[in-house]
Amino acid sequence: MLDALNNIWLISRRELQSFSKRPIFLVIMIVAPLGFLWMFSSLMKAGLPTKLPAALVDEDNTHVTRELTRILGSMEETRFVMKTYSYTEARQAMQRGEIYAIFRIPKGTTEAALTQRQPVISYYTNDTYYIAASLLMKDMRKLSEMAGIAITRETMRARGFTDDQIMGTVQPILVESHPLGNPHLNYSVVLTNLIVPGLLMLVIMLTTSYALGMEWKNNEQKLLFEMAGRRTWVAIVGKLLPQTVLYTIIIWLFDLVFYSYFQFPCACGIPRMMMWGFLAVLASQGFGLLMFEAFPGMMRMSMSACSLLGVMQFSLAGFSFPVSAMDLPFQWFSNIFPLHHYFLVYVNQALNGYHISYVWLNVAALVALSILPWLFSYRLTEAFLNKEYKA
Amino acid sequence: MRKPKFPIFHVWLDELSELVKDEGILIFIILLPLAYPLLYAMIYNTETQRELPICVVDDAMSSRSRDFIRRVDATSEVSVAAHCTSMAEAQELMRRRDVFGILRIPREFDRQLWLGEQTTVGLYSDLTSMLYYKVEYLAVVNVAQDLNRNIKVLEHQTNITAREEEVARWPIRFEEVKLYNPAGGFAAFLIPPVLMLILQQALCLGVGMSMGRSRERFRGLVIPPTRHYKNTLAIVLGKGLVHFLLFMLMAFYMAVCVTRWFGLPQLAHFWDLLGFFVPYLLACTYMAIFYSSFIYRREDCILLFVFMSIPLLFLSGVSWPGSAVPPLWKAVGSVFPSTWGLNAYVRISGMGASLGDCHTEILALWILAAIYFLLSCFIYMFEIRKAVGRSVLE
Repeated sequence: MLDALNNIWLISRRELQSFSKRPIFLVIMIVAPLGFLWMFSSLMKAGLPTKLPAALVDEDNTHVTRELTRILGSMEETRFVMKTYSYTEARQAMQRGEIYAIFRIPKGTTEAALTQRQPVISYYTNDTYYIAASLLMKDMRKLSEMAGIAITRETMRARGFTDDQIMGTVQPILVESHPLGNPHLNYSVVLTNLIVPGLLMLVIMLTTSYALGMEWKNNEQKLLFEMAGRRTWVAIVGKLLPQTVLYTIIIWLFDLVFYSYFQFPCACGIPRMMMWGFLAVLASQGFGLLMFEAFPGMMRMSMSACSLLGVMQFSLAGFSFPVSAMDLPFQWFSNIFPLHHYFLVYVNQALNGYHISYVWLNVAALVALSILPWLFSYRLTEAFLNKEYKA
Repeated sequence: MRKPKFPIFHVWLDELSELVKDEGILIFIILLPLAYPLLYAMIYNTETQRELPICVVDDAMSSRSRDFIRRVDATSEVSVAAHCTSMAEAQELMRRRDVFGILRIPREFDRQLWLGEQTTVGLYSDLTSMLYYKVEYLAVVNVAQDLNRNIKVLEHQTNITAREEEVARWPIRFEEVKLYNPAGGFAAFLIPPVLMLILQQALCLGVGMSMGRSRERFRGLVIPPTRHYKNTLAIVLGKGLVHFLLFMLMAFYMAVCVTRWFGLPQLAHFWDLLGFFVPYLLACTYMAIFYSSFIYRREDCILLFVFMSIPLLFLSGVSWPGSAVPPLWKAVGSVFPSTWGLNAYVRISGMGASLGDCHTEILALWILAAIYFLLSCFIYMFEIRKAVGRSVLE
């Protein structure tokens, strides 16, 4: 046993030396993840994008419509960068990508409203830009609804109703929405702290296959096997341990930045999240190792598999488009990705602060991903003995 | 086989035969652009969340509250999966992820409505996905507004004509139009930009692998030390042409076949598409050649290019609104063809914009293509000199 530990130490030291000789390792393993942390956190600093550019087509141009548009202009998401009298002009601006929405008040709106002839106002959102369109739509819809209410209120006030009575008439049922865990609808809370660890997990998968494959490529796999005392597990642990340590430090740093510096909601406490981060690192390494065992000694194939699957995990994890909305085969497929399980554990623990027993299956999946490759390690033993690198 | 006369054809043939022989490269330049779009389109094919299970805590237990719940259940967005007697029970369902939202109707719901007061209905949404919140909110607010109109008209305004009733219901009508994405879904929003990103990334991986392979075979040189590889322009054009032509095919496969198979919007005219693809693919090809010249082992390019995909998607301003991208990151994004290309393609194909409407993007792509082409020429000039120096030494 002592012997094995000593071998692990020797192999790890050799691995660290090989990192220091190749700048690409340092770029990919340290600079890139920290760069992504910087990039995404500054990209989504505002949390919810506000003041999105829109166009106002006020064909009516009366004091009433101006009042209406002033209110819309003061709303959170909307900023009118363009005011025009022609719808075509606004549509062209939309096609040029300058605006995401058009709010249109046709000629005669005021007159029709005052004479009870039901004018129609319309708003157009460009739903090829989904987030922007959804946010603008919310504002415009609220305003249109309010415009109607305002008119009824004026009529009722004139008839002598009190304000309480009026509200009970024009809006008897009020919906009070409570977005749980993320009351400000901060996109950063559900994107930055999943995309950035997700990218790290992709890097982990790739570098795991890369580091192992390097041995075959340099034709040193036999040397490594001898160094490990002809024990596969010693060789793997020795090779991957330096990465485990490094990546764990990085993901802990992420946790500190997200939950301590940016104060993202973390109901379970930072140490707990760090523990899940560590488990995610292990599961990603397991995933990479599994891919390498699927194509033993074939660095390129295993890295291709890791990259093709690894990029998909951002879609299949379900934090942008929910897994529950996908077709059934993809719902099953999503379960092979560590990011999917990490995401559900994060939501349960940090965002909602529920008991861990509700996501025990996801925790188990992460553990399983870390353990599973050890069952197939015999494939690596064979590869150590018989497999050569093919250019 | 007879050697072609012009060095450019020689380089072209060489590169092509190299590509065809190498399965590692074929995965990235054939399989990836052919299969990945289908996979992505299938993931997002359902467009949006429908019939999201929520539960209801009905403290009022009246015919009116039941009517409200029935209407919510009837929406396409949500379905009432459970009725709970207490909030605690509902929360438990939420924790078990059996339901993703709670609709709570207060005890005084009926009484307040009869008294003509305002009553408040609570909606508690699980924020596992922002989409859950969006569909629940929409469903419940739509139902509430509908009922509000009924109450306003039927209970508070008696002795009115049908026309008055109609006007009271909708003093102002409003029309909501989702342009260019009628289903308001994810596929039409995400797939077109992803298609263009796949083109760029696959090109980078393919070119990178092939150049890394050359470096490995020719001891650190990206060109074989033969006499055909003396003319910079011929090499850069010849190599570029292989990838450019192949990916032109892929581009039309995506813009025509994938788009049609999955019913994505395609409003583009052929010449507009072509006028966009030419500069886009040129810029991508030469960017790939330039960046790949820094790669010394073929596998390194997988490490370098793969994980760039996600950040590039965000930098392009298509998924995260461009107006919310800080200037620094706009500047970083502008050196990648994808940033311009994604926007231009979305507009041309999805919104029926003409080339003139996206002249900024097209111009930027031509500029990028020129810059990366020149940079690639410099790299190859340098490499040829190195190769010559080496053959002199030997």
